[in-house]
Amino acid sequence: MSQETLMDFAGAWIGKLSEVVKTITGSGPVRYLVNWSRMYALWPVHITTACCSAEFGAMMGPRLDPERFGLQAVAGGLRQCDLLIVEGTVTKKMAKRLKIVYEQMARPRYVIAMGDCACSGGLFHDSYSIVNDVHKLFPVDVYVPGCPPRPEALLSAIVKLREKIRREEVFA
Amino acid sequence: MVAKVDRPHRVTIHFEKNHLLEIAKFMHDELGFDHVKGVAGIDHPTHRKIEVLYFAGSYSKPEIQDLIVILKAELPREDATIASAVSVWPSSHFHERETFEMFGVKFEGHPDLRKLLTLDNWEGPPPMLKDIKFPEMGQR
Amino acid sequence: MTTETTQMKPPAPPITITKTQEPSTLDVSVGPQHPGSGHFRMLIRVDGDYIVSVDPDIGYVHRGCEKIAEYRNYVSNIPHLERPCIIDAIHLNWAYVLPVEELQGVVVPPRGQYISTIAAEMNRIMSHLYWLAINAGVFSGHTTIFMWAFGDRDLFIELAEMLTGARLTYSFLPPGGPRRDLPFGFEDKLSKLLDYFENRLVEYDHIFFSNPLVVSRAKGIGVLTREEAMELGVAGPVLRGSGVKYDVRKVEPYGAYGDVDFEIPTFEEGDSYARFLVRFEEMKQSVKILRQCLQKIPKGPIARKAPLVAPEGEAAGRVESSRGEYTVMVMGDNSDKPYRVKIMNGSFRNLAALPFLIRNVHVADMPIIYGSLDYWPVEADR
Repeated sequence: MSQETLMDFAGAWIGKLSEVVKTITGSGPVRYLVNWSRMYALWPVHITTACCSAEFGAMMGPRLDPERFGLQAVAGGLRQCDLLIVEGTVTKKMAKRLKIVYEQMARPRYVIAMGDCACSGGLFHDSYSIVNDVHKLFPVDVYVPGCPPRPEALLSAIVKLREKIRREEVFA
Repeated sequence: MVAKVDRPHRVTIHFEKNHLLEIAKFMHDELGFDHVKGVAGIDHPTHRKIEVLYFAGSYSKPEIQDLIVILKAELPREDATIASAVSVWPSSHFHERETFEMFGVKFEGHPDLRKLLTLDNWEGPPPMLKDIKFPEMGQR
Repeated sequence: MTTETTQMKPPAPPITITKTQEPSTLDVSVGPQHPGSGHFRMLIRVDGDYIVSVDPDIGYVHRGCEKIAEYRNYVSNIPHLERPCIIDAIHLNWAYVLPVEELQGVVVPPRGQYISTIAAEMNRIMSHLYWLAINAGVFSGHTTIFMWAFGDRDLFIELAEMLTGARLTYSFLPPGGPRRDLPFGFEDKLSKLLDYFENRLVEYDHIFFSNPLVVSRAKGIGVLTREEAMELGVAGPVLRGSGVKYDVRKVEPYGAYGDVDFEIPTFEEGDSYARFLVRFEEMKQSVKILRQCLQKIPKGPIARKAPLVAPEGEAAGRVESSRGEYTVMVMGDNSDKPYRVKIMNGSFRNLAALPFLIRNVHVADMPIIYGSLDYWPVEADR
């Protein structure tokens, strides 16, 4: 066989193989299993941006206990985390570092923008040193308004995120 | 040099900027004002001057612990330089760095005068000056 | 003026960062993302297991509060000037409102002063519990105290919500006095909570402050002598842990502190463990102050109406917040917006001690020293 027909043959087989994988993982038990394991082990990056971090700490406390959802504050394990909660105001000096943190996380990774300042600038919207639109840095999955949002609101955002994960494709 | 006491527990002293080190040494050694709570700058664009304020207090002498002495000097806006008080009051190190960054006031003799709070590569003007208007400020 | 009694030792050496690097050292960035407090970076120079020097790099949460304050009127400034230290919001609010009231000539009636004092002391307990959970607990690896302290803190937050309507950001003290009176049933709930909390403090002592692991990690680490503390201008529990008996509530009483009876805990050793104990004892004193305020609170109006503008002039007011002396200077210019607001807070002043203390220590001692200073980056950056 010439090289062209060999390449066509290989390409066709790889195409068929990926279709088969997509069909297997696209429906039914495999997709459910993969999504179930992702949504029950959401580890947030330990990054306390600004004042909303006080309510994030209150959510991790014993009253609301997010560990039953699999949310463990893993200290120091940045590359094993998959949830980035942007709590509060993002300054220009910090935006560069936040992008580096986001790119260090392994896929699939999710972002929650917590607080008015992360959603749209909030109380400090006219300051010279902050970034108003966090969605220009990276795609955001859930927005939680509030100044600061109640810990119950943040927990309900995490429940919404889990619903979103439950419905998504395996190879997105 | 003019000293005023018009509020309880506060003494305001206006002085010439060249006398800063002498006044600081006198206050530190003789009177017992051993630390500086902060260094502020106030911009007066209409009078073409920047005022620098030192808020001095005392921890060691109980009889003057409740006083805050506010030392004020006026600097011309185009050439705002003043001697640094770090050799007398080491507590003013970070405050002077911040005033340098926010108002452009140069403190001569400061060992480490560089930017503190704004962006790493902030090339813009000192942010706190009054005639620097960032276009987004004050918008609703 | 006489030069009397104690000759002060020569001042502390100036804080310089040595730029030359020995071949055996390594520069490590304890970066803005670290498993600890807010955004703050320390560039440490490490020689094996010893930290040779440290260069703090701040400004990651600098939001320009002082510049924004010139664009909002006096009452609208309150929400955003209480955000720097959100867990201690009443003290920041009070420190801003004291010079404004002085400029405008408004005197708050006694019942209003007592209500402000009650809110402030509750806030001090909440802030010290947060410190205990994170800065003293999580930094030293003690996550049980994190859970316990956050659980108890939530009870105080519920009471604050009953009083002011918000969990953390109260905006409770506009110029002229507090916004609301004590609601019905508040005093009973607060006394029950204080009884419960005093028993909890004994339990905290058992598992944390007398824990031999914590004691061995913190005793003798990061010693700041009395003269060095005074020369470096540190404030708050850092100062009182080094033997200087200075508290704005006694030096220049404001609110109801002139009428109540309390002590200022001071420890002589100057090490991290002394700073831990200062905050522990302060919580006990806060409980004592709250009990007395509930008994002695007078009847009457709570607030006076304040004008919307402030005349020309400057005024400086200060309060003792949880992290130290919080001084605010407000300059008015006959309009409804301030001409200049300058904030001098405890965290920024304690920054002067950081490169001084973290020198020639083990790497493992660094979180303990940093935790004992209770540095809150958002407050220092404003």
